[in-house]
Amino acid sequence: MSDKKQPVSRRQFLNYTLTGVGGFMAAAMLSPMVRMAVDPVLQPKEGGEFHATGTEVKNITEEPTRVDFSYEQQDAWYVSEVSKTAWVYKNESGDVIAFSPICKHLGCIVKWEGGQGNENQYYCPCHGGLYEKNGENVPGTPPLAPLDQYKVKIQDGMLYLGEVIPNKVV
Amino acid sequence: MKWNGQDVSLYAQSKEFVDTGIVPLIPYSLSGSEKELTQLANQSELLTLFMKEVEEEYRGRIFLAPSFTYLKETSIDKEIERINEWAERMEAEGFKHLLFFTFDQQWKKAERKLNPSLIWMPIPQVQDIHNEEAKKVLRSQIEQVTELITAYWQE
Ligand code: FES
Repeated sequence: MSDKKQPVSRRQFLNYTLTGVGGFMAAAMLSPMVRMAVDPVLQPKEGGEFHATGTEVKNITEEPTRVDFSYEQQDAWYVSEVSKTAWVYKNESGDVIAFSPICKHLGCIVKWEGGQGNENQYYCPCHGGLYEKNGENVPGTPPLAPLDQYKVKIQDGMLYLGEVIPNKVV
Repeated sequence: MKWNGQDVSLYAQSKEFVDTGIVPLIPYSLSGSEKELTQLANQSELLTLFMKEVEEEYRGRIFLAPSFTYLKETSIDKEIERINEWAERMEAEGFKHLLFFTFDQQWKKAERKLNPSLIWMPIPQVQDIHNEEAKKVLRSQIEQVTELITAYWQE
C-alpha cells in the first residue's frame, strides 16, 4: 500500500493515538486531585466524626448492653454501609462507656457474660479470652490488651459513637 | 480470616488458633428463564453475604475459603470428589471443623458421601437483600449459625 492511499500514515496514527491515550491518562490522574482540592465533600474527614446509635442515654444502665449502629462510609471506590457494634454501660459516676466488641487476641466478637460461668465479664468464644467489665483483659487468657473504646458524644439525650481509641478506663 | 493478603498473613502467623474452615457451595448457570437465573444469582449473593457476616463474628478462629463454585448442570457426583479434596487439604493443615454451607438441596442427598459437615439452609424468603426487613431476617439466621458453630467447638 502506498502512502497516497493512506491519508493517515502509520506513524501519524501512532502519534495521534499515543498522545490521545497519554492525555487521557494524565487527565484521569489529575481529575481526582483537582476534585479533592475543589470539592469539600470529597475532602478526607477528620477523626472527629460521630454516628447516631438510636439509643437514648437514659436507657443505658450499669449492665453492658449491646448497641448496633450503621452508617455510610466512603472508601476509595464506592460508598458502603458499615455496621458496628458496641457494649455500652454507665460507670459509677454515670459516665457512658462504650467498648468495641473486637477481641484483642485475633478479632472475634466478645459477648458480655457469654459462655458459662463468666459473670461480670466479657467472654470471647474463640479461644476463651476474658475481660473485666472495664475492658481489662484477664491474665492467663489469650488477649494481651484491654478492649478498645469508642469515643462517646451525647447530644439531646441520644448516644453518638465516634472513632475507636485505646482503652482509657483501665 | 479470609482469602486475602492481609488475613492470610495473619493466618500464617496464628495457624494454631484457626481450626474451623467454612466454605460456601455456590451453583452457577446461565441457562434458564429470567426468573430462575435471578433466583440463582440472588442465592449466590445471599450466601456470600451470609458467609462474610459469619466470618466477621469469629474471624480469629474461622477461615472462610473462597466460594466453591460449580455449574448447576454438572452432575454432583463429579463435584463430590472435588469437595472432599478441598476438605482433605484443609484437614492436612490442622483444621478440625469443616463446614460447607449451601442453599442447594442437591447436596442434602449426597451428604453421606461428603467428608466435611454439610450445613444446608433453607433460602431466606426475602425480596431484596438490601432492605431493612431482609437484614433482620438475615441477622437472626446468622445468629443461629454462629451458635451452631460454637456448639461444634464445645464437642
Ligand atoms: S480471638 Fe478472642 S481469645 Fe482468641
